Amino acid sequence: MILYDYILSPDAYKVRLMAALAGVKLDLRAVDVHPGREHESEPLRALNPAGSIPILIDGDLILTESAAMLVYLARLAAPEWLGDGDAAGGARIQQWLSFSPRLTDHLGGARATEMLAEPGDLPALQQAGIIDLRQLEAALIERRIEGQCFLAADRPTVADIACFPYAALAPDGGVSLDPYPSIRLWMRAIRMLPGFIEMPGIHRLHELKPEPLSTETPETV
Amino acid sequence: MTTSSQPMIDQWYPVALASQLPPEGRATQLMGAPIVVLPGEPIRVVAGGGRDLPVTVRYGHVWTSLGEPSKELFDIPEADQPGRRLVEVGVVRVRCSPLRAVENFLDIAHFPFVHTDILGAEPHTEVGKYDVEIREEEDEVWATKVQFYQPQAAKSATGGITTDYMYRVPAPTSSVLYKTCPARPGDWDVITLFVQPLTEELCDVWPWMALFDDETPTTDLIHFQQMIFLQDRSILENQIPRLLPLDPGREIPTRADLTSVAYRRWLKRHLFTYGAQLVAQ
Amino acid sequence: MPVELHRDWIPVALSADLPAATVVPAHTPSGILALWRSESGKLTALADRCPHRGMRLSYGFVRGEALSCIYHGWSYGRTGQCQRIPAHPDLTPPAAIKAASYATEERNGVIWIAQNEPQEPPPTLDGFKPLRSMPLAVDADRLSPTGEVRTEFAGIDMLLLIVATGNGEAVAHIMIAASASKDDCVAASRAAEGWRRDCERLALEDRAS
Ligand SMILES: N[C@@H](CCC(=O)N[C@@H](CS)C(=O)NCC(=O)O)C(=O)O
Ligand code: FES
Ligand SMILES: [Fe+2]
Repeated sequence: MILYDYILSPDAYKVRLMAALAGVKLDLRAVDVHPGREHESEPLRALNPAGSIPILIDGDLILTESAAMLVYLARLAAPEWLGDGDAAGGARIQQWLSFSPRLTDHLGGARATEMLAEPGDLPALQQAGIIDLRQLEAALIERRIEGQCFLAADRPTVADIACFPYAALAPDGGVSLDPYPSIRLWMRAIRMLPGFIEMPGIHRLHELKPEPLSTETPETV
Repeated sequence: MTTSSQPMIDQWYPVALASQLPPEGRATQLMGAPIVVLPGEPIRVVAGGGRDLPVTVRYGHVWTSLGEPSKELFDIPEADQPGRRLVEVGVVRVRCSPLRAVENFLDIAHFPFVHTDILGAEPHTEVGKYDVEIREEEDEVWATKVQFYQPQAAKSATGGITTDYMYRVPAPTSSVLYKTCPARPGDWDVITLFVQPLTEELCDVWPWMALFDDETPTTDLIHFQQMIFLQDRSILENQIPRLLPLDPGREIPTRADLTSVAYRRWLKRHLFTYGAQLVAQ
Repeated sequence: MPVELHRDWIPVALSADLPAATVVPAHTPSGILALWRSESGKLTALADRCPHRGMRLSYGFVRGEALSCIYHGWSYGRTGQCQRIPAHPDLTPPAAIKAASYATEERNGVIWIAQNEPQEPPPTLDGFKPLRSMPLAVDADRLSPTGEVRTEFAGIDMLLLIVATGNGEAVAHIMIAASASKDDCVAASRAAEGWRRDCERLALEDRAS
């Protein structure tokens, strides 16, 4: 399975993260998005006319939407990430998959403007991102009242992975996560999952490793 | 702008990648002043009121100055050495002082915590003694004999190695690092951080590299460097205060920070204070 | 006892939002603190600025009974004293390396921080339990001159503890009647969203006129 990837793309990271959690090996193809704008080049437009990253290719199947990629990976290798399959449960997951592009547009837009100096109306994007974060926070509070910590089931699902990266990277676009205790705890729960991988801007939970007692002599090659 | 920041006005600053100028030019800022970098032969940089600024194109970047630079842009001799790959990494905007961005680049003690499992990892956190000097003739800060254990020192590295580093600060917002070259032991890879001060608390950072590496695709080299720098960005945006404190009582260095101490002293000596805080507030 | 008699104590977080071995930024009228709970459950509030190179300590991590800075891993105990500098594993950090610390109290699911040296403990808020903390883009004074709002959300008794957090913003730590069911809590949480929209709209209209 080939993933056209960019290390700084939160949407590409969703797919890398899902694959890591599901134990699927991806063949990564790095695309020079910044500064090269290779995603807008003809060879990549031939795969994805929208000129966006990521692109997932498995045989004849070409996927250009990260939410679809998450569902595909889960169905192939980790069906428990798709919830229980009842009508409401499935709809709840779909609700968040459909919500996630708002995070891409708003918080992702703020991030591209603030971090990669791309054109954009930063205050408007940030304000729209805050409304999204409030919606996410309110939903997670209700989940916590029910004794749950993930968005759509009693375990993590593709819904969590679809929403996690742009929420976690909100500060890259100048939107603070300080005021969202439930989002912070939810992000922590995701980062604690076995097999979790990072992306730049989302730091390791160093507390999962014990404090080193003594320094060992570094081995030299 | 205060008169005390005058000495920095006369320095060269990177303002664009020469190869990436859009037809309409790059509208940007330098030390608070709006400027436009215009493509063409030659490339021009125009300030408010239509004033043409001095321009020099080197190391892939367009450099300019709001003042009157008394020297040419600093030399990086390795840039002309045959066999090196010259890699343009692009721009990353950081809401921090340009001086804080440089200081972070000079620091190795953060590798295990910020670049975990790449440039450092616990328990290998110790920073040994190294040499730091202000070279009077060149008027540059130098740190040499810096060593650090690294799990994956470069894109081309396959395992952990103890890496040798040298650091050089030839201008207040530019730094050059030399590190063990995995492909050619005995040679140094060159990685630079060129910082464009947009304001005292906002900068565009332009990393650039001159490497001995014939194998790794350019895109992978760019992404490796972008990954490293983006790990730093979330730190840089959360240091308090945003301005770099030059008052020695404000922050507490240790022996591991001797490069930073020398850099701060050198900034103070030259009144390079754009982005600095002289008195604690 | 009304909350305003206790202005020495600032409510900064709900206990449930700070599990063992975590750290959060705690916003107060006079700035941000790094509020953390050790692995054994002890609470500490430190200035949110690492004495080394100024990194916010609330971005750090808790291991055992110490808070470590994310930048270079310096760790701080409950007094704020630096305990370990990873770059110099054999060095005992000098006593001068210390982050300022503040008294904390935890009562009835609410965490309070002392500004001065309070004579009395913070209020117990009997009859209420914590629901959620909610930021608002509204001046705290507009919401309540006393720092306390008694109201009803979805027909349920509520007590809101209002704290100014600077830049014309505030946090409401929302308490709900202790007898409230889960369904009541959900209904009140939704009503709180509506209350915030109203407050922010009114504040905006005021600013415009
Ligand atoms: N990539 C270099 C750079 C690492 C380094 O020494 N500098 C850190 C300190 S901040 C860095 O972030 N460099 C940014 C950059 O090289 O672009 C390395 O592999 O060692
Ligand atoms: S800034 Fe906190 S350890 Fe260096
Ligand atoms: Fe770094």
